[in-house]
Amino acid sequence: MIIEVEKLRKEFNGIVAVDGISFGVERGEIFGFLGPNGAGKTTTINILTTLLLPTSGTARIAGYDLLRQPAEVRRRIGLVPQEVVLEGDLTARENLVFHGMLYGLSRSQVERRIPELLELVELAERADSKVKTFSGGMKRRLELVKVLIHDPEVIFLDEPTVGLDPQTRRRIWEYIRLLNTEREVTVFLTTHYMEEAEQLCDRVCIIDHGRILDMGHPEELKRRLGERDIVEVELSEPCGGFLSRLESMGYRIKSVRGCRASIVAGRREKALAELFRLAGELGVSITSISVRAPTLEDVFIHYTGRGIRDEAGGDSRMRQIARRLKH
Amino acid sequence: MRFLREVYVVFWKEMLVWVNNPMLPVVRALVFPMMWIVIFGSAFGGEVNHIPVAVVSEDTGELALSYLSMLSTGRTLELRYTSPTEAERLLKTRGVYGVLYIPPGFTDELRSGGRVRVSLSTDESTPQIAEAMSAHILRVSRTFSAALGTGDAVEVVRNPVYGRGVKYLDYLAPGVVMMTILFSSIFSGGLNLILDREFGTLKMLMVSPVSRDAIILGKIFAGVAQSIASGAVALLVAMLMGVHLKSGAAGFGLVILLMFISGFGFIGMSTAFATRITQLEQLMVVMQVIIMPMWFLSGGLYPLESMPDWMRPLAIVNPMTYATDAAREIMIRGIIWQTLAVDFAVISAFAVTMFLIGSYSFKKTLGGVK
Repeated sequence: MIIEVEKLRKEFNGIVAVDGISFGVERGEIFGFLGPNGAGKTTTINILTTLLLPTSGTARIAGYDLLRQPAEVRRRIGLVPQEVVLEGDLTARENLVFHGMLYGLSRSQVERRIPELLELVELAERADSKVKTFSGGMKRRLELVKVLIHDPEVIFLDEPTVGLDPQTRRRIWEYIRLLNTEREVTVFLTTHYMEEAEQLCDRVCIIDHGRILDMGHPEELKRRLGERDIVEVELSEPCGGFLSRLESMGYRIKSVRGCRASIVAGRREKALAELFRLAGELGVSITSISVRAPTLEDVFIHYTGRGIRDEAGGDSRMRQIARRLKH
Repeated sequence: MRFLREVYVVFWKEMLVWVNNPMLPVVRALVFPMMWIVIFGSAFGGEVNHIPVAVVSEDTGELALSYLSMLSTGRTLELRYTSPTEAERLLKTRGVYGVLYIPPGFTDELRSGGRVRVSLSTDESTPQIAEAMSAHILRVSRTFSAALGTGDAVEVVRNPVYGRGVKYLDYLAPGVVMMTILFSSIFSGGLNLILDREFGTLKMLMVSPVSRDAIILGKIFAGVAQSIASGAVALLVAMLMGVHLKSGAAGFGLVILLMFISGFGFIGMSTAFATRITQLEQLMVVMQVIIMPMWFLSGGLYPLESMPDWMRPLAIVNPMTYATDAAREIMIRGIIWQTLAVDFAVISAFAVTMFLIGSYSFKKTLGGVK
């Protein structure tokens, strides 16, 4: 275990942000913290990176106690926070040099590592451009390798693809996988994108209101929901009677938009047969139908009773800033 | 109609924010303009008075006494009767701005219908004061002579000892140089820190193994270095414009040292403020309520002697007063340690105190594992 977290708890003025969580991360894993805004993801990252003191509990990172040996921990970790923390007026190279020197590397040591790192994220030819001329995706890529300059054992990525377009997001995922395999670095990331957790993580930990709801490989989590395939069906109007009959037969209807419905199907063969029979009986025609396996989103809804993006986000970030400023 | 409603909504929201944040509007709308009116209205337009002047009188005759009593009427001068050597020392150490010498036989000469010369040795490093002092003595001498029946019985010979030919530009420049240090400290110290925190750049340092003290010291030293750079530029510009630097290279070095010490004080001060500040607007308030008055009440623009009496204590507790005074001493009067010692002692004490307060409160706000 490269990260061992024990009963970690954090309160802000009586409000519990992290509620006594315990978990472990294996060396070499990509471990994801999945939850909506305000679930306690960033607070956990801030504690694990020594930026915040926990109210109680502790953690060991690479064998060092967070509270007793913070300097040892800091030497072995890297953090990519949500906000870009590059110096825009410096070049990519200068940013890396400065960062390396913070970790006690000499200028020449850093200079030697730079080409390889920039190559990794395909920024080699922009090494001497000022960072403020970079696109959002380029800045993210630079941040990703910036934290590798001192060869950390674990890197923490707080919402690594937030605010990026889908193509860029996919590229970032590839880079993260590449860092993980080529540099053998353990990755701890937070996200509120289901897809990201599903695509990227070896293990996912679902967190909400500061508590861990479930943890495991994405496939494993989905399997734990049982054989609950989801049937997406579109019916001809009027369909109210059809849906209420279906519910009375014991099917759970996840969402309805007009006459499009997602139905939790249990075993798909049985469900499909019943659906068609009912449609024939009520004279409703099915205009389209598809069956899909459950996603992490379904897992999340299973545990929390709501979708991950239902909760209003954004403002919690500001609150966090305000809180940090106050202290 | 819809447009008006939209205007109203926007207006209403702005007013709501304004009213809900009582500190800012009160300061902006009330305190600040009043302060300007008071400072500019009374400190800059005011008459210079209570000017200390040493009197060396070699004549104890009746006319000498009545001449001196006429001089001390009103609030312009404060006469001190001393020996010639003491007078000279006072003039050197800025205990007085002038020495008035009444020659022996003053009374007898005037009685017999003759003329006398009184000499006035002046310190003109503060031109406004030198002017007010000389003008007052000339006016009294003329009135005194007229009373005796001859228009020019008493002739005043003015003899500038310090700051010969000093113009207002020379007077202003040292203050402006120190003002540059003060203002740039606010930006290099406080503002920088607030922005760092806002944009998370501080986080990058905080997760690194660099010690917390090193982060604080590094930031403060950078702030001081930036302030000195801008102060040095201001000094060079002043010299290009023909401002005196009486004490030459040694003086230049001493002014830089002064910038260094006061830079620490001001950076420490602005860091202490910044740790309590969560919005940029609040920094503007600090700027307007604390920093600007520090500059205006420093004697940088106009001598302290022209301030009303109630305002002078503010100038005396203002560290900027000593910084400005020291810079002016060095640039106009030369390196005279008897007077510079007090200035340097006060500024150094201020710098040490503010550095400690600033770094302590900075460290406290960093949070996290120590």
